[in-house]
Amino acid sequence: MATQNLEAIAAAEKLSTYEWGFSSDIEQEFAPKGLSEDTVRFISAKKGEPAWMLDWRLKAYRLWLTMEAPDWAKLNVPPIDYQDAFYYAAPKAKPKLGSLDEVDPEILRTYEKLGIPIKEQKLLAGVVEDTDAMPQGRRIAVDAVFDSVSVATTFRAELERAGVIFRSISEAIKEYPDLVRKWLGKVVPQHDNYFATLNAAVFSDGTFVYIPEGVRCPMELSTYFRINAENTGQFERTLIIADKGSHVSYLEGCTAPQRDENQLHAAVVELVALDDAEIKYSTVQNWYPGDAEGKGGIYNFVTKRALCQGKNSKVSWTQVETGSAITWKYPSCVLAGENSVGEFYSVAVTTNRQQADTGSKMIHLGKNSRSTIVSKGISAGRSDNTYRGLVRVGPTAENVRNFTQCDSLLLGDQCGAHTVPYIEVGNPSAQIEHEATTSKISDDQLFYAMQRGLDAEAAVALIVNGFAREVLKQLPMEFAVEAQKLLGISLEGSVG
Amino acid sequence: MLNITNLHAETAGKAILKGITLAINPGEIHAIMGPNGAGKSTLAYTLGGRPGYEVTAGSATFDGADLLEMEPHERAAAGLFLGFQYPVEIPGVSNLQFLREALNAQRKQRGEEPLSGAEFIKIARAEATSLGLDHEMLKRPVNVGFSGGEKKRNEMVQMGIIAPKLAILDETDSGLDIDALKAVGHGINTIMRKPDKAVLLITHYQRLLDYVKPDFVHVLADGRIVRSGGAELAHELEREGYVGIDGVAA
Amino acid sequence: MTLLALPSARDEAWRWSDLAALPALADARPSGQPRSVDDLWIDISGPRILFVDGAYDASRSNPGPVRIGQADADASKHALGRLAGSTGWSLSLGRDAASDTIQIVHVATGGANHLAAEIMLDEDATAAIVESFAGEGWTNRATAIRLARSARLMVARRFVQDAGFQSHADTADIAQGASLATISLVAGAADSRLDGHLTITGIEAYAEAGGALLGRARQRHDAAFVVRHAAANGQSRQIWRAVADEQAIASAAARVEVARHAQKTDGEQSLRGLLLTRTAAVNLKPELEIFADDVKCGHGATVGELDRQALFYLASRGIPPLPARAMLTRAFVADAFARIGNDAVREAFAETADRWLDV
Repeated sequence: MATQNLEAIAAAEKLSTYEWGFSSDIEQEFAPKGLSEDTVRFISAKKGEPAWMLDWRLKAYRLWLTMEAPDWAKLNVPPIDYQDAFYYAAPKAKPKLGSLDEVDPEILRTYEKLGIPIKEQKLLAGVVEDTDAMPQGRRIAVDAVFDSVSVATTFRAELERAGVIFRSISEAIKEYPDLVRKWLGKVVPQHDNYFATLNAAVFSDGTFVYIPEGVRCPMELSTYFRINAENTGQFERTLIIADKGSHVSYLEGCTAPQRDENQLHAAVVELVALDDAEIKYSTVQNWYPGDAEGKGGIYNFVTKRALCQGKNSKVSWTQVETGSAITWKYPSCVLAGENSVGEFYSVAVTTNRQQADTGSKMIHLGKNSRSTIVSKGISAGRSDNTYRGLVRVGPTAENVRNFTQCDSLLLGDQCGAHTVPYIEVGNPSAQIEHEATTSKISDDQLFYAMQRGLDAEAAVALIVNGFAREVLKQLPMEFAVEAQKLLGISLEGSVG
Repeated sequence: MLNITNLHAETAGKAILKGITLAINPGEIHAIMGPNGAGKSTLAYTLGGRPGYEVTAGSATFDGADLLEMEPHERAAAGLFLGFQYPVEIPGVSNLQFLREALNAQRKQRGEEPLSGAEFIKIARAEATSLGLDHEMLKRPVNVGFSGGEKKRNEMVQMGIIAPKLAILDETDSGLDIDALKAVGHGINTIMRKPDKAVLLITHYQRLLDYVKPDFVHVLADGRIVRSGGAELAHELEREGYVGIDGVAA
Repeated sequence: MTLLALPSARDEAWRWSDLAALPALADARPSGQPRSVDDLWIDISGPRILFVDGAYDASRSNPGPVRIGQADADASKHALGRLAGSTGWSLSLGRDAASDTIQIVHVATGGANHLAAEIMLDEDATAAIVESFAGEGWTNRATAIRLARSARLMVARRFVQDAGFQSHADTADIAQGASLATISLVAGAADSRLDGHLTITGIEAYAEAGGALLGRARQRHDAAFVVRHAAANGQSRQIWRAVADEQAIASAAARVEVARHAQKTDGEQSLRGLLLTRTAAVNLKPELEIFADDVKCGHGATVGELDRQALFYLASRGIPPLPARAMLTRAFVADAFARIGNDAVREAFAETADRWLDV
């Protein structure tokens, strides 16, 4: 009898669920509702973009009109009315800020509530700050994207001394047009898929990073995405280029207010790693997942892909996915370079009526390329959690190695856990291994932990963290702790 | 400290404990012996509050409080430690993490301040040293990949760190070689032989009692205590076996 | 022109199939000159049935309990199975009945032939069926299997046509405590597509679907099996071995579905691919779809070439490269029909695989 499980449910049900569900009352500017060529022109004009950028957007928009929304096997996506959303929402522009007092206090409060420390917050809100006066220890440069636009990027001066470009992508389009033009859409082409095409037409902001040859980025870079406005889609675009022999670690965090309507988040992330370069990309995704009955929440339809173009290049994706009503994302690596390495570490938690369909694609084209996929899915409530992945070895890719491990943990008997791996191998020297398991928390484990003093909920959180350990340890230290807490909080009210 | 009166319990619809009465006072070590199927492990699980073990009659109080009303983790916080015959593996959770969370959860329940990481590690290392458990084992996942002997030593390390008032040790001696048995015996004596603490040792063999001298020995057969005596009773059982004891079928 | 509505590679379940040859085969005529079938009979007692181009050859058959005529293959939803029609053979055994191993040989002479089959075993009945497919042309079959409580059925099939296309679709309902094992060996020179949808409808039932796909030249072999656990305490095994030589592509997709209340299900999949040349390809898709929490389901999948160390070890013991490769390949494939209980049948299957390896 699993009475402890029942007790855990009862205990958990008393607790609140989404802690980031507040919204901020900030004066904002919107594009007219709906989607048309005019919307695309409006966004481009707002950003003061050059003509080539507008043309690129319009081309994508016209292409998108000819495409059909995908119909997925394991996701139940209600039809989306693309005319009933805003495609651009920005906090009203402020002139150059001189002190903290001039920043919209609501924006400050928002970031305070999100747990971004005050010192950093000053920088976030665009206040001039002497970065050398920052406390010692690990520093993190932040780009804060509030609805459609980047509010500020921090540590710019120090990063520039190292030659690192860390900008909102709108700024980069104006300041580094050649770099952006060279790589934009090269990893995720405009026609890639329905949502990527939509993003290409209407993306409003995002982050641009360039690490020059031989540079090890002196600090973690991160972007905090926040959807605040109602009925607003967020379409950010991130482009990270790691030149030869460079190294960068990048983290994104995401939250959104609690709203009854579904909101669309269709981002595109493109990573390029040249010879001997390494990119570590970590995500803690905690968009609003909707309520217990499945009302509201973010549709998180994201295309993330890395091109390991150079020899010995490496891209490592780590994701902790606890939010969103529906998640559809497959951070992938095209391993074109000789000896290139792709990694994907994922923890996906679904509760209530969330649906997650996530995994990775590793496309091996280069000799001796190697990849690792570790996926830990945790399903609770009435949710469905699917790992979908592809490992493909091209005929000329010699000595490819892949190891894939997909583990599912089910909490309760009303949820689902699915594993859909595709393995396509066209070269005999490849060694491909794939393993998957499905399990639940055993009554023995639960009783053992409780006998040592943990209540049912703490015991479950501990065991779940153990289950996800291999992935969590891939995160930068500070975020690993944050992610660990997030797992516990996400499962509150849904353990059973 | 522990007062059990006419305790009846069943598991999977089968009556196992059929009226156990037992009082354990501070400073005492009690041994419960008996043949397989007598109900020894059921007694341990029932006192620990394991789901699936249903009390059908009788009572048990711990320091005056109704033990049977408490959740398993509340019993732990009240000072009851259960040493498992088969310690459970928890992959991905290090021994240190597990114990620190457990100890701080107990302290919180008792209204005490949580221990800092540094304080805790000091205690954990000291206990591991005293029980001859490699410090590296503290970093490994709970019981994963441990040998039988290591698991039992690990239970003793946990007992040392948690420092309970009452330890119920279920066949802690099973599957141990002589060195591990000595280490476990030493652990029980060092940690628990104190005027304010007590132990209920559940064992099938007398061997462990060479190292941990009990004050009282009880024979459990068919769900009842059929005989009680001093340490000499264990030797008698070792010589004569359980046959001939009242209630034990030949 | 016969109008065939065939699925395309865009259809997820047919992603790795190539059905391009079927329309032409459907329009072609059989030559009516069958090859000899003597080598296809396994030397065991029991009923023997011969179909030539899908037509029953009474003079060379001894049908035993098998009836020839109407058969409901329950394949209306399957893209190829639905073409099998409503005539063919059926086997219906009553309570406690047991049949000797039934051998069925299908020989084709070109064109297309379709046949339905129906197998119904009542409580505690037991049967074993061995089917062999030889000749050329498109041979299309669909079989419906219904096992009542505690019935036991083993179906072993050899697909060894010299040319053309072999397609087969099974559907099965397996009641409480019943056991079904289907084992397929594809070792000829024709393309193949094997489908199965086995449903465990009663508690404590067992289902096994597996086999070996051996391909060379430009062959395509494709197996797509689903075991659905709709009742608790069931057990299933899916063991597939895919071997691709020259320009062949061998693909195996195996899915375990566990319905909401099918607790204590034990489902295991082992999918392994072996590439013998650099121009061949293997595709695998071990899939889990699980809606119950107290289950033990897992899978392992590997793709690679023959172990170079093992090859070297055999060479150092004086075994030349070709026999060494054959020996290791044989060992790789053997797992797939280890479960055939009848020694003579199992040996016959091993020999068929050996002949393929020795070419």
